Amino acid sequence: MTLPRSSYRAVVVGGGIIGLYTAYDLARAGAGPILVLERGFLSSGASGRNGGGVRQQWETRGTIRLARESVEAYRRFGRDFGYNLWFRQSGYLFLAESEVELARLRTVHDVVTAEGLPARLLDAGGVAELVPGLAPGAAIGGSYLASDGVLYPFPAVWGVYEAARSLGVDVALGVEALGLRVEGTRVTGLVTSEGAVATTTVVNAAGGWSGEFSRRAGLEVPNVATRHEILATESLKPFLDPMVVRASDGLYFSQTMRGEIVGGRTVGHAPGVGPGVPSSPGFLTGMARALTGLLPRLGSVRVLRAWSGYYDDTPDGFPVIGEDPRLPGFVHANGFGGHGFMLAPAAGRRVARAVLGEPTELDPAVFGPGRFLVARRDAPAERLGLG
Amino acid sequence: MAGDRPARFSYRGRSVRADPGETVLGAIARRGVPVVARSNRYRRPRGPFCGVGQCTGCLVRVNGVPGTRACRHVPLEGDRVEDERGWPSARFDLLGAIDLLFPGGFDSLRGLRRPAFLTPVYQWGVRRLLGVGALPEAAPPARPPVTVIAPKVVVVGGGRSGRAVAQALRTEGLRPLVLERALGPLALEGADGRPATSATFLPRPAGGRFTMLGFTEPDRGVALRTRAVVIATGSYDAGLLFGGNDRPGVLTAEGALSLVGPGRRPPFRRAVVVGGGGRVRDVLDRCGDAVAAVVAPSEIRPEVVRRASELDVPLYPRSLVLRAAGRSGVRRLYLRTRRRGPTFSLACDAVVLAHRRLPHTQLFFQAGARLDWSDARGAYFPVVDDAGATTVPGLYAIGSVAGDAAPGVRPEDLAHALAARRPVGPPRTAASGPVAEIVGYYRELLGERRRGRWMACPCEDVLLREIEEAVAAGYRGVEVTKRYTGLGTGLCQGRYCVPDALLVLSLLEGRPPPAVGYITQRPPVHPMPLASLAELDGALPSEAEA
Repeated sequence: MTLPRSSYRAVVVGGGIIGLYTAYDLARAGAGPILVLERGFLSSGASGRNGGGVRQQWETRGTIRLARESVEAYRRFGRDFGYNLWFRQSGYLFLAESEVELARLRTVHDVVTAEGLPARLLDAGGVAELVPGLAPGAAIGGSYLASDGVLYPFPAVWGVYEAARSLGVDVALGVEALGLRVEGTRVTGLVTSEGAVATTTVVNAAGGWSGEFSRRAGLEVPNVATRHEILATESLKPFLDPMVVRASDGLYFSQTMRGEIVGGRTVGHAPGVGPGVPSSPGFLTGMARALTGLLPRLGSVRVLRAWSGYYDDTPDGFPVIGEDPRLPGFVHANGFGGHGFMLAPAAGRRVARAVLGEPTELDPAVFGPGRFLVARRDAPAERLGLG
Repeated sequence: MAGDRPARFSYRGRSVRADPGETVLGAIARRGVPVVARSNRYRRPRGPFCGVGQCTGCLVRVNGVPGTRACRHVPLEGDRVEDERGWPSARFDLLGAIDLLFPGGFDSLRGLRRPAFLTPVYQWGVRRLLGVGALPEAAPPARPPVTVIAPKVVVVGGGRSGRAVAQALRTEGLRPLVLERALGPLALEGADGRPATSATFLPRPAGGRFTMLGFTEPDRGVALRTRAVVIATGSYDAGLLFGGNDRPGVLTAEGALSLVGPGRRPPFRRAVVVGGGGRVRDVLDRCGDAVAAVVAPSEIRPEVVRRASELDVPLYPRSLVLRAAGRSGVRRLYLRTRRRGPTFSLACDAVVLAHRRLPHTQLFFQAGARLDWSDARGAYFPVVDDAGATTVPGLYAIGSVAGDAAPGVRPEDLAHALAARRPVGPPRTAASGPVAEIVGYYRELLGERRRGRWMACPCEDVLLREIEEAVAAGYRGVEVTKRYTGLGTGLCQGRYCVPDALLVLSLLEGRPPPAVGYITQRPPVHPMPLASLAELDGALPSEAEA
């Protein structure tokens, strides 16, 4: 295919949920011609590989606010975008196995409730009530917020994709961004696998590949791709409502609308990130052991399939949103650390504002790309980078 | 040990006797094709279909364990077998009314959004409708951990080709381990055999050993580490798209033949067999007196014509299968002579699909071996050299799964190349020939007016219409169609829907099947219980060690 135009107001690299929301918000703001490049097919990256969790329990106020705004957007999604996400607000439950973890969840709970969200601290009995069949001693307590939930990621991708296209956004599927064109210190264009386009703004929303893309543009960034794997079982009658996350290692599981148990965990660093994302031998067996340890009655339930994807991690656990001070015209929308889907509606709006030079209402010391350029003590961190 | 002597199990309030070695399905299908299950969305009656333990047609609950395949479970004395879905039973399910109330189908993508305040109600209802079996009542008993087996060679499949290659490997001084998924004993001289075992590949580092996870029915896991694997998984009888193609009584040839045996009559009296080749002949040979007619998508081969005329079975070549009518069984099959010929119908009590066989290629996809599309066969086959070596060193293919080039790979050539670790040679050229008949068949069929539900994916109740809508909405390729419609996400892992959906998508999108793609084959290829996987934890070397 050839690209529909030779010049765009902005080119978004990455047709995942972050890139699509950004393009949609840019088009809604009347920014001019927008192009989204997706090197695979729609939903081929993390937007089509995640567990669908959407939560508002975070360690820092900045993240909680993005998450709250996103939950509101997902609640309205059916009305705004015409697709049913099956967004089920049946809670997120963090499990603590030790007093240290419980103390940490207590700190999180205080921040979350200070933001006006009715999170609850539970004892072992309260946890057992929410998770039928939980092994005795699997948790000494937990933290629960009922308005967190799970959704189906795919229809969100279709909905925002179609909405962006109906506003005139060009989405080029199977087209790869190869490199930037820079004149002086400014972005002037982008070379793609289908030829070059002129643009003054390039948004890096490439998920697990964003670190590589920034580096290709000559920018040193701390983003690291981490492989994350998920398995899904055969379908069971509904017995589990909340998304359950083990605080010690971030292992999570929930039951989908169709009844499958979907659970995942992070496997490790993935230095060479390729398009093929295989499952590892250790994941299937290790995850099976962990799951049956938590819920022994799942032992005879069969695993249907397993898959993997990449998290785009940053050292402090916050995403990177905003224009790079070293290269005007290069805007970051990455580093979501496996939480891009749950923050996408709010994040896309902020990225669009950054492209248009409007205030993002985000603290640059927390979310800005410049934060890694200065050495700081006591910098904030979002360590609840789980599930 | 299961299967040594007769066993009585309970089912729907009565006691049923199973002969030695007989499965639950065998025991309950003596008098007719039973309605064992209900479908996912529309609660349509479902019965056994594939006969090889892959489809969702015969899922039952055994001793509190959900999702057990009646066709794979050899009962023990006193087993408790229950319907998984259906109120009061799978046969008479009041919720079956859903199928009648929503003739146009549900729209799970755009439907049930409004009014928004009813969202929790919709979700409550849909969750209860879709879930299959209840959470098991108890944890399975703990067992000692499993150790890793490290044979020199693993042969996957103990059919004719698998056995022949095992013999040839023995001549080369290698003692192979043969895994055979079909139930029953596996006696092999000079080789080790594991009956009722399926296996799945896990990715391996470049040049390292293969890691496979095996699963022995009903619940035992095993880890395998080996340098060489021969895949002799053979082929299977494909599904077919037509109205009511998911009705109980529509069976693959394997499904039908699995219910016929010595001293055992088929569970039908007047079957219509679909197909015109050797597979129809198998059906005629084994249950010819229960066949009412043979209907072929194109021509009927002379030996089938001969056999049918001996049995006095009428033949209908060059016919489109339009619709199987009935409710909890098939009563009549509606057809049309091809090229806009007249429509006609045949009374019957079963439809046996024997028109096309497809290779079990899942393991090649998983191992990363190259597969090429064969226009002549309408399917993907692994690329192999003259000794059956695939593009992955150490991985071989033999038998019908190895492709359509004639003559086939010789077992002794494969064994010799494997023993000598001969490098992979130039690929054999695939047989050329006219494009598979099924393509022209579907081109014509898609233009027909449709009645009844055309199930593109029987596991998940995805309709053909939903696939057409995805294409009309601008979505392209089988991977995206899978995510858009749910096609191929069910228990059969796409075996009975993707091959035909691929051809349909190719016609709708106007590009060849390889451009439409193929669904990634994710591990495990056969569903494995969590406990069996958990037992293997720690038995496998970590990625760093491997």
